[in-house]
Amino acid sequence: MTEETIIGIDLGTTFSLVAHVDEAGAHVIRDERGDGRVPSVIGITPAAAGARPQVTIGWPAREHAIENARTTVYSVKRLIGKGWEDIRRDLPFLAYAVTPGPRDTLQVEIDGRRYTPEEVSATILRALRERAEQHLGRPVHKAVLTVPAYFDDAQRQATRTAGAAAGLEVVRIVNEPTAAALAYGIGLRARPGRAGPVAGVPQDRPEAGLPGRVALPTPTCPTTGGQFQAQTASGETVAVFDLGGGTFDVSILRLEDGVFQVLSTTGDTHLGGDDFDHALIQLVTDEVRDQFGVSISAPATKQALRSMAESVKIRLSEQHTAEIELDLGRERVYRRTITRGEFEQLIGPLVERTLGSCEQALRDARLTPADLAQVILVGGSTRIPLVRRRVGEFFGRPPYTALNPDEVVAIGAAIQAAILSGRQPDMLLLDVTPLSLGIETMGGAMGKLIVRNTTIPCRATEKFTTFVDGQTAIKFNVLQGERELAADCRSLAEFILDGVPPMPAGMPKIEVEFLIDANGILNVSAKELRSGKQAGIQIIPNHGLTRAEVQRITRESIEFAQADIDAHRRIDLRNQVEFDAHKTEQMLAKVGHLLEPAERERIERDIAALRKLAQETEDLDELHRALTAFGHGTLHLAELGIREALVQRDPAP
Amino acid sequence: MDSSTKTAPAKCRACHRPMGSPLFCDHCHSLYPSEGLNHFELFGFPPAFDIDPAALRQKYLQLSRGVHPDHHAASPESTDSLRLSAQLNEAHRVLLDPVLRAEYLLELFGGPAASADKGTLEGVLATALQLREDVCDAQATGDRPALDRCAARVRQLHEELLAGIGELARQLPGDPQVRRRLRATLNSIKYYQKLLGEL
Ligand SMILES: [Zn+2]
Repeated sequence: MTEETIIGIDLGTTFSLVAHVDEAGAHVIRDERGDGRVPSVIGITPAAAGARPQVTIGWPAREHAIENARTTVYSVKRLIGKGWEDIRRDLPFLAYAVTPGPRDTLQVEIDGRRYTPEEVSATILRALRERAEQHLGRPVHKAVLTVPAYFDDAQRQATRTAGAAAGLEVVRIVNEPTAAALAYGIGLRARPGRAGPVAGVPQDRPEAGLPGRVALPTPTCPTTGGQFQAQTASGETVAVFDLGGGTFDVSILRLEDGVFQVLSTTGDTHLGGDDFDHALIQLVTDEVRDQFGVSISAPATKQALRSMAESVKIRLSEQHTAEIELDLGRERVYRRTITRGEFEQLIGPLVERTLGSCEQALRDARLTPADLAQVILVGGSTRIPLVRRRVGEFFGRPPYTALNPDEVVAIGAAIQAAILSGRQPDMLLLDVTPLSLGIETMGGAMGKLIVRNTTIPCRATEKFTTFVDGQTAIKFNVLQGERELAADCRSLAEFILDGVPPMPAGMPKIEVEFLIDANGILNVSAKELRSGKQAGIQIIPNHGLTRAEVQRITRESIEFAQADIDAHRRIDLRNQVEFDAHKTEQMLAKVGHLLEPAERERIERDIAALRKLAQETEDLDELHRALTAFGHGTLHLAELGIREALVQRDPAP
Repeated sequence: MDSSTKTAPAKCRACHRPMGSPLFCDHCHSLYPSEGLNHFELFGFPPAFDIDPAALRQKYLQLSRGVHPDHHAASPESTDSLRLSAQLNEAHRVLLDPVLRAEYLLELFGGPAASADKGTLEGVLATALQLREDVCDAQATGDRPALDRCAARVRQLHEELLAGIGELARQLPGDPQVRRRLRATLNSIKYYQKLLGEL
């Protein structure tokens, strides 16, 4: 009977955050130091033979990255859903080992054990889930996850798999710039003169001379949780420029009266702060080679160099020079001063690439910079002065920097969770598919069925037939991308239509439906048109995990044995039982008098029976079924409770 | 075309209150699979070329709020919601674009689709080829003013054909002559659209 909490998670390249919406509005869930960020880093310490490795997550893993260089995994978001060719140029910069996996996937190898990027991501997601559970005091099973808007189908599916492996049903995948626009549009905007900074929505760097105040989202409905008023009644068009640790997106959105409509999106899923670090690392590596004749290959030195590059980059956002010092051992120390100008020269070409994408996004939306009311900066890398300056020059206006670029995406994810919970019936999010979808035609061309920037959900159909008499199977290749040649696009999967009735060539008519859902994920089904029957369809994915692999990583996590997972689930379920039983008792006390006496007695018996079962049974599936049945049995009571609460709040005419 | 046979049920089958839209009930949010409704019926518009963009947008948003998967996330109707929403988005895409709208009307009135008839307007092919050559030359030599002149010319020709499409599509169903000419104009404008995309 309880409305299940859905948390919002921003699974970032460098940092991840979890947020949720309660009576006071949307906020990020923080640690005891007040920090909402969990570094997307895990350390895997090998254990004695046969035992499970020890896993550290977040800050402890990040802080010990140098001494544990080979066993610390970071930036795994750049690997998820990708293939060997995609990450080649990252390899020299990674301190941990990456090896090609089956079906053009990647695996992280630590002490002879291989981990999929999905498993590593799941470990981070589990930490966020636990943070949310501790904060909320109840189990959490559902989440909205954000991904870069330019993520393709394989990357989205892999992210969803990671969620499942962390015990989270991913109820929606939202694009990061869209999530940021949601947070912006509901009124997390700087409004000079309004109430000051709000707990949970800290402003970004007030010292930088930014509009310093952040308005509260407007909670209006005490019974259903914070409800937002979109402050966009008049309507405006905005660009969201999202440059994170590893990925870049730019989206153009129309915001109007609670509607968030994406007009176009483009980006690069392999361009971000990591690449700025790499440029610095390359400079230092080259100079060390020239001065000392040594090449940097030891994982610990690579990791030290990485940490150094990151901190130099951050310092150069505030100062005009930074010192670099690298101890190469045997009394050899590399030292140099780097100026902001030098750094800007190094990263200039990368920044220009982002502007090329902005031009593309505007062209696709058929707009010019003058049509935009605001350019919103998101992602830690937008703190770099050169990025701000060039974005400002390109769009011809100073960018909007009053949102905390680290937190705004997680906040948006939590708002989307509130929409999905039915708490925001007036809000409407219309997103688009970032990449064109098509099939390989004869001669190896890409035949587009759905063009990029089409509003999702969207659908296309294509008819297939046979070329040979008696042919009973038809094969086709599904592609994603903008290039003309199939070989230059990403092949998502090969589909085989089987069980085609043997007929003369060209007679069978099979209609295949390509349906892109609101997560941006493709669903394919086929129908034989003469019989109207669903046709058999086999999918041979060219990327990602098989069903068996997904089951395996869902069953066993890196850090817990099956027994631990069972124990965890048992605690989860018992907590949920207690929570539901207690809520139901409260509801009975409040509105029980509105029920028929028989129903009231039945619910009281159900509560007692459920509690008893939770104490006695070891069969967790049985307990789960009982909990679900209990939920159904108390629906009527829950409805009465909500109606009553609404009447009290808002006297009916 | 008889559109009266495919309109909404008068009352919601679930809550028996009057229906405001053929797709969903405003009161209990039940969804009604809409196979068989054409794009105009979906929006409750008469099948005509002229559409008020503001009315189209307003109706699109109203219907989207009713059927979008975000508002049916937990319900057993989520598959219906997905399909309806995809159908609505497709209908909106077609009705919003004058070329697609004219093509759709042509099909609706029973004529062969433009793509089934390879005919183009006289001279368009030659003009488009010449313009493409000019564009290539200008790009190769980096002659910016020449490129701008080409772009202006393509835009002008595109506008002219667009106006022609509107004029013809307003006469639909029309006689076979009108339909043939509309098909040829629709086929012709594709050449200029392609050029515009490349500029
Ligand atoms: Zn109804």
